[in-house]
Amino acid sequence: MSNAIYAMLGRQQGLMQEMQVVANNLANSSTTGYKSDRALFGEFLVATGNQSSSLSMGGLAGHSFAMAQGALKITGGELDLAIQGDGFFLVNTEQGQRLTRAGHFQLSTDGQLVDMNGSAVLTSGGTPINIPQNASEVRVAADGTVTVSAGDGLPPEEVGQIGVVTVDQEATLVRDSNSYFSAPNGHRPAENNEIVQGALEQSNVSPVLEVARMIEVQRAYEAGQALFEREDQRVNQLISAVRNG
Amino acid sequence: MKSLQIAATGMAAQQMRVDVISNNIANMSTAAYRPRSAEFSDLVYQQYLTPGTSTSQVGTLVPAGIQIGTGVRPSTVSMELTQGALNPTDAELDLAIDGSGYFEITLPSGESAYTRDGKFNRGQDGQIVTMDGFPLTDGIIIPDDAQKISISRDGEVVAYFEGVTEGQAIGNIQLVRFVNEKGLEAMGDNLFRETQASGTPTQLVPGTEGAGFIRQGFLEGSGVDVVKEISELIEAQRGYELNSKVITASDEMLAATTRVK
Repeated sequence: MSNAIYAMLGRQQGLMQEMQVVANNLANSSTTGYKSDRALFGEFLVATGNQSSSLSMGGLAGHSFAMAQGALKITGGELDLAIQGDGFFLVNTEQGQRLTRAGHFQLSTDGQLVDMNGSAVLTSGGTPINIPQNASEVRVAADGTVTVSAGDGLPPEEVGQIGVVTVDQEATLVRDSNSYFSAPNGHRPAENNEIVQGALEQSNVSPVLEVARMIEVQRAYEAGQALFEREDQRVNQLISAVRNG
Repeated sequence: MKSLQIAATGMAAQQMRVDVISNNIANMSTAAYRPRSAEFSDLVYQQYLTPGTSTSQVGTLVPAGIQIGTGVRPSTVSMELTQGALNPTDAELDLAIDGSGYFEITLPSGESAYTRDGKFNRGQDGQIVTMDGFPLTDGIIIPDDAQKISISRDGEVVAYFEGVTEGQAIGNIQLVRFVNEKGLEAMGDNLFRETQASGTPTQLVPGTEGAGFIRQGFLEGSGVDVVKEISELIEAQRGYELNSKVITASDEMLAATTRVK
C-alpha cells in the first residue's frame, strides 16, 4: 500500500479528534469556570528501509488548555465566587481533592460550604468551612477570608479562609468531569489572585476563534479526502497502464 | 463521529437555558418570585494519553497528554437569593419579608409549605390565609369584630376594636429559615417544600438570628431583572447556533469521507 495514504490517514484521524475538541469547547461556551482546550499535532518519523527517504507522519500528540481569565459575570449571589488571577478553588470529592474555577457555591444541610456537586470547599490546609446557621450575611474578602455576621449588633465572626491553590506546571493537570481538574503532582498555595464575591467566572471559550478553527479543520479534512481520491486515481492509472502496456 | 454528539449536548444545554430564562421572564410580575439560573459543567474526558505517564526508562514524562472532552451537562438550576423590591399596597394583610426567611403555611393535607409571597386575607373563621385559602401555621384567629389589624416588624399581631383605643395582642407571626435555602423544592403557587438538601426549618422571631423583618402594607416584587434575562437569552440563542454550526461542519466532513469511494 502506498505510504502517502498512510501518512494522510494519521492526519485525518487527528483532524477528526481536533473537531471533537472544537465541538467540546463550543458545547462548554456557557460552562462556569471552563478553560478552552487545544489539540497539538506532533510529527513522528518512521524509517522505511535503506533506499527510500524516511516517512514523516503527523498525529495528535498532546493538548493544552488556555488558562486565560474568563470574563466575570456579576450575579450578586452571596456564595458565587470568582477567582481573578491565578489559582483554583480546592474541593474534596469522593475521588480525592480536586481543583476547580467554578465558584457557584452553596451550603450543605449541615452548614458546610459546598460546590454545586456537593463537594466541600476547602481551606488551603484542606479543612472544610462551616457557616453558622444563624448567619444573616456572609462576606468573602479578596484573600478568601470568610466572615459571617449574625445580626443583632454582634461583631462579625471569622470562620475560615477559602484556599486558592495552583500547580507548578499547568499542563500536568488532568481534566475531570464537573469542571474539575486533578493535580497528580500535588498543589501549592497560589499568589497573584483575588476572590470576587457575587460574580462567576464565565467560560473562556472564544466563539470567533473556535468557529475559525472549525472551518480550518473541516477544510483541511476535505483537502485530505481529495488527496485520497487523487492517490486512488493514480494507483488505478498505474494498474491499467501496467495491464495494457 | 463524536463531534456530532458533543454538539448535540451543547444544543440541549442552551435549550435548557432558554427554558429557564423564559420561565423567569414569564414570572417577572409574580410576587416574591426568585429568578433561577442554569449552571453547566463539562462531561467526562476520554484519556487517550494521560499527562505524567512515562515515555522512557530514564523517567521522561508526557508533559501534556491527550484528553478529549465529550460535551456538557446541566449541573444545577438554582434559585438566586435576591431580595425583591418592596412595593407599598396599604392592604393590612399584605406582608413582605425584608431580609431572609419564609412564612410557614399549612396545606390541606396537613403538610407544611413555605412562601415569601405575603398576600394574605382573612379566612372564613378569622384565620390568616393565602390567596389559595391555606392558613398560616402560627394559628392566629382574628376576631370578627376587629376593625384594624396592626403587625409589627417583629411579627406581633395586634387587633383594634371599635371604641377601644388600646389594642389587643392576638398572636405572633414567626418566620422560618433553612440552612440551604437553594435546596427547597418549588411546588408552584409560590410555595416551597422542605427537602433533605434544605435542612429542617428553624422557627425564629422576625429580626432575630438572621431572619428578616416583616413589613405590613408591602408586597415583595419579583426579583427578575428583565434586562439581564434578555441579554442571557441572546447569549443562549447564539450559543445554540454555534453548536448547530458544529453539526453542519461535522456532517460535511462525513460527506467528504463518503465521497472517496
